Amino acid sequence: MSGLVLGVDTATERTVIALGTLGEPGVRMLAAEEIDAPRAALGRLLPAVAELLGREGLTTAEISQVVAGHGPGSFTGVRIGVATAKGLAHGLGVPLYGIGTLDAIAWRLAREGDGLLGVLGDAMRGEVYPALFELDGGVARRREGDRVATPAAVAAEWAALDRPLVLAGNALTKHEHLFVDTLGERVTLAARELWLPTGDGLIGAYAYARSSEGADLGTGDPGALLPIYTRLSDAEEAERVRHGGAS
Amino acid sequence: MSVDVREMAYADLDGVVALEEATFPSPWSRATFADELARPHSRGWLVAEEAGVLVGYGGVMVVDGEAHLMNIAVRSDRRREGVASALLDELVARARELGADRVTLEVRAESDEPIAFYRSRGMQLAGRRAGYYGPGVDALIMSADIDEVAASAGSELILAIETSCDETAAAIMRGGTELLSNVVASQVDFHARFGGVVPEIASRKHTEAIVGVVDEALEQAGVSFADLDAIAVTYGPGLIGALVVGVAYAKGLSLATGLPLVGVNHLEGHIFASALAEPDIEPPLVALVVSGGHTSLVHVPEWGVYETLGQTLDDAAGEAFDKVAKVLGLGYPGGPVISKLAEEGDPRAIDFPRAMMHSRDYRFSLSGLKTAVINHIRHEREAGREISVPDLAASFQAAVVDVQVAKTVRAAEELGVRTVCLAGGVAANPSLREGLREALAARSIRLSVPPFAFCTDNAAMIAAAGTWRFRRGDRLGLDAEAVADLPLA
Repeated sequence: MSGLVLGVDTATERTVIALGTLGEPGVRMLAAEEIDAPRAALGRLLPAVAELLGREGLTTAEISQVVAGHGPGSFTGVRIGVATAKGLAHGLGVPLYGIGTLDAIAWRLAREGDGLLGVLGDAMRGEVYPALFELDGGVARRREGDRVATPAAVAAEWAALDRPLVLAGNALTKHEHLFVDTLGERVTLAARELWLPTGDGLIGAYAYARSSEGADLGTGDPGALLPIYTRLSDAEEAERVRHGGAS
Repeated sequence: MSVDVREMAYADLDGVVALEEATFPSPWSRATFADELARPHSRGWLVAEEAGVLVGYGGVMVVDGEAHLMNIAVRSDRRREGVASALLDELVARARELGADRVTLEVRAESDEPIAFYRSRGMQLAGRRAGYYGPGVDALIMSADIDEVAASAGSELILAIETSCDETAAAIMRGGTELLSNVVASQVDFHARFGGVVPEIASRKHTEAIVGVVDEALEQAGVSFADLDAIAVTYGPGLIGALVVGVAYAKGLSLATGLPLVGVNHLEGHIFASALAEPDIEPPLVALVVSGGHTSLVHVPEWGVYETLGQTLDDAAGEAFDKVAKVLGLGYPGGPVISKLAEEGDPRAIDFPRAMMHSRDYRFSLSGLKTAVINHIRHEREAGREISVPDLAASFQAAVVDVQVAKTVRAAEELGVRTVCLAGGVAANPSLREGLREALAARSIRLSVPPFAFCTDNAAMIAAAGTWRFRRGDRLGLDAEAVADLPLA
């Protein structure tokens, strides 16, 4: 298969658009646009997609697959990217694949050096979306699935690993001190502009996922891709607590 | 305003040349037009007038059975009103008289609106002429069988999408009236156990369902994206997170397919639902839109013009039914179960307040009534008396219906309209229907109530309103937002 890959991610305050070319071997980064657009992704995403395609002299007809960062992140933010990508892929008749938003952060950082990386997405309400990655020769290998947790619990877990750790993610804006205090000298903060997903991180994560080593990308059915929430809705959460099912 | 199309005469040329110069970057001269008018055996030139004032013109040249559409121009303040379509219909008829069986035209490659218009009239892309309008400005060639163009009058194929609350819906409609499919994936069961719509659950379900619902609508209609002329989507009012899913998806679809996107106000959709069931419904009219999310009395002097006379200050009518049902432990949604119980009860058993009945305006308030019901239940329980649920349901329902009927009738009388449309999910309530029907019949005012499937949220009504907006040329851009409190204007 050859052609053009369009990637989008709106799970955070940064709207990310990436274009890659598909060929042998794998996917190559072509162009990206990253816009700081907190709570404005719905209005900003598609005009920026059209503009980026135009700037590269490409048309939507050349897109052979769509990739969406599907969280975790802001619920509405993730849905804007995923629903837009569904419309694009459905209308074009091409497959749609999901890439973790935290993976799109990790894959950019894999280019900065090897070692252990902890990505902390902002889950609001005093919680974080944590994910550990092993960076090795430009590859970011996930060590755990997506979940939601308190910053204190995650900091304690990661301190117990007793290994040097690079941290990134937009939750650091709120919880930087807690992690630095808990992890002490073992911790290094990534450069601030790498706390959010990037176009080349998204394409890099997708290229890896497509490879034989990668995880299952699913069928590519635009109807099947769903956001990663990690949390129930508040109403369901409250019901679970009422019924004594809460942890 | 009605448009008259007639033959162009030399006396029209001052106005035609002025409009030509205002419309096209390289306009034809007066001499060119005069030369055209001197060749009636191969040319047809027409003007469109509104109350005797020139609003547009167009011409066609027929050579060897091929009609070449020349400049069609419409005054900038009279666009989106069907003038171009009226001109095109007459030009096609003239071309047929001159022996044409095909129609072709050139259009500036970057002119999205004219291209969408010609596409909607059956014209297909047939080629491209580089630099036709000057350096770097290409022309697209479009053409079609003349029968296609003639048959396309009022036959636009529209996909409509609705996600403003807890129904994921899609519909395919031809020509604004012929419903080819109408798919609704209701989430009511997912919300029922919470006693009302949970916005986050609604947004999640829309994201899960949207592609499948659209696929089913296409499949049932037996069409594909390539057959469509436009996409219509509800962009407000409603639950913001729910609206966002439909708008984001529809915009992605629009960019992918190149189809124009039309935004529809959800309440306008409800009002169009009446015209869908009774095509002879015409403004001026008054519409009462009552649902779980809305209670609005709207004056519609003509299609597309809405004057909101009044809305609820607090709870929507459907919401009041839901809340009272919840208090009585009757489950969700509350409307059907309360109206069923009310059939067995006495509507005069309990004298609940008719809030704002005499407020001399068209606003509603329903939260006080809900509180009165709760207080009544508590009072009776404390007094150790058993509550007659049917009497309570009937009395509550009567209090809601009395105010709705009184205000609607007064609005119709004061505005002098002969037609009232009842719309929204609560329009399914038999007592409200009958109350309005009786009160209006006594005054010889027609009441239109859509079939139940068009009262509750659906995309057929969005397709009907969307077709009307599409014909006017209304479009949503790729930068469009969902608007939770979108006014009806």
